[in-house]
Amino acid sequence: MRWTRPAAVYLVLVAGAVFTLAPFLLSVLTAFKPRQQFARESALAWPDPFTLDNIVALITGPAQFGRAILVTLLAATLILVGQLISSILAAYAFARVDFPGRNALFWVYLSTLMIPPVVLVVPLYLMMTEAGLRNSFWSLVLPFAFASPYAIFLLREYFRGIPQELIDAARLDGASTLDVLVEIVVPLSRPIIATLTLITIVSHWNSFMWPLVVTSGSEWRVVTVATASLQSQFNGNWTLVMAATTLALVPLLVLFLVFQRQFVRSITFSGLK
Amino acid sequence: MAGSGVARRGAIRRRNALTGYSLLAPSLFGVVCFLLLPVLVVVWLSFQSWDLIGPISYVGLDNYRSVLTDGVFGNSLLVTLVFVALVVPIQTAIGLWAATLLTRGLPGSAWFRTIYVLPWIAAPLALGVVWKWILAPTDGALNTLIGQRIEWLSDPSLALPSVAAVVIWTNVGYVTLFFMAGLLNIPDQVLEAARIDGAGGMSLFWQIKLPLLRPTMFFVLVTTVISAFQVFDQVYALTQGGPARTTDVVAARIYYEAFSAFDLGRAAVMAVVLLVILVTITLAQQLYFRRRVTYEME
Repeated sequence: MRWTRPAAVYLVLVAGAVFTLAPFLLSVLTAFKPRQQFARESALAWPDPFTLDNIVALITGPAQFGRAILVTLLAATLILVGQLISSILAAYAFARVDFPGRNALFWVYLSTLMIPPVVLVVPLYLMMTEAGLRNSFWSLVLPFAFASPYAIFLLREYFRGIPQELIDAARLDGASTLDVLVEIVVPLSRPIIATLTLITIVSHWNSFMWPLVVTSGSEWRVVTVATASLQSQFNGNWTLVMAATTLALVPLLVLFLVFQRQFVRSITFSGLK
Repeated sequence: MAGSGVARRGAIRRRNALTGYSLLAPSLFGVVCFLLLPVLVVVWLSFQSWDLIGPISYVGLDNYRSVLTDGVFGNSLLVTLVFVALVVPIQTAIGLWAATLLTRGLPGSAWFRTIYVLPWIAAPLALGVVWKWILAPTDGALNTLIGQRIEWLSDPSLALPSVAAVVIWTNVGYVTLFFMAGLLNIPDQVLEAARIDGAGGMSLFWQIKLPLLRPTMFFVLVTTVISAFQVFDQVYALTQGGPARTTDVVAARIYYEAFSAFDLGRAAVMAVVLLVILVTITLAQQLYFRRRVTYEME
């Protein structure tokens, strides 16, 4: 079989890698390209000279991209902290506390996994409007900060694997439920918590439809919305737009390269973005 | 003694109930307010008329009648179905192929895997914007490279396939990861036994590996079908639903109906229909999965 030869395999793999990386390289090159050169020369030309003008203009100019980065970072962090705390508490209750209605409630939580996020945009918009929170920072955070049934499901599976003897021993020493959580359960669950942290940060750093709908104007613009509005506002100013897509990717890229192994495992493990 | 035992068990049960519900309180608030309540609200809103500014008023089945008869939503459903039918089989096939190449134990496989996953961590919106520029007719990188002037995104017959290609490009690495995990889970003894029986190359793949990948295949198909049904970011960046509504997928239609046409009632009807479709797919898959696949998982 010709296709089983390593040379043929590598040829296919390299072609795939080039095809995957090319758009990223093109956008990075364009981000560092002088505007005049971009207008004059081919899209494929190497930057001459390399310039930081686009990045500087992006952050200090009317696009207020620096502010967008801060808003996104703060929102994603608050969502992460809220989800982790509420999910760890709930998952422990479902895994280790025998309370009436536990199974029924767990099924309710699980069933909410079937609700497509797109369906929630219109009703949440109405609810945020009625609550007077439209176009506020909290409208970006509140709908996601209290619960992630998905995280609860994964954490519960993990918590069930923690030996009950450890918990009982701590109990005999007079530890409360919260002590048990903080001193035993959470330290033992570091891998799954790291996984959830990565998934949550990536998905909320990248989220677009909800922030697009619920915010207006530049005050609470997140990175994705700022990128989209750059594209429509400064039509044709592609060096600025590519600076935005490049800058937006950098934090995730760093996170990805540092936690690569964890990332790959977490994607396979989670099956969700 | 017996009486105090019962009393103590009662006390424990009460304490457990208190502990359990205290621990659940924050997440229960989130699930009720931001997942269950919105579903009720969207169903309620589908019977109302609202333009974002004026008062909300009850209109009975008017929204359903207009959405189901004017053809715009029908077009969106059709576009979405074609999109799903383009994206899912192609990205599954490419992902499966890449996974078989990456699980041969060749040196450097981990590097290729890392590269292929890269588009999956980037924002779909940002990738859409980058591809919008690459596919631009006059100064775009692709047309510059091939020396043509093809209207990738404004030719009605090319727009949907172009959007699908961008989405496939984004998702292939993710699909590859799952198939790699699935392939690596196949016990060596099984493959060894098949080789001894004379299976090799293609027949090993089609007759041994592919059937054993069925649980992975189901998982990948279901999650990618459901996410493809909700595609929005790339469409927004690339075509805004155009030209001539040829890329007007359901999620984009809901968005434009609500926030460009300011007809929240019609948008709610579309959301309800999408909810019903996706829940049906999930439940059907659950039934099928439970019947056909579970016994093979071990």
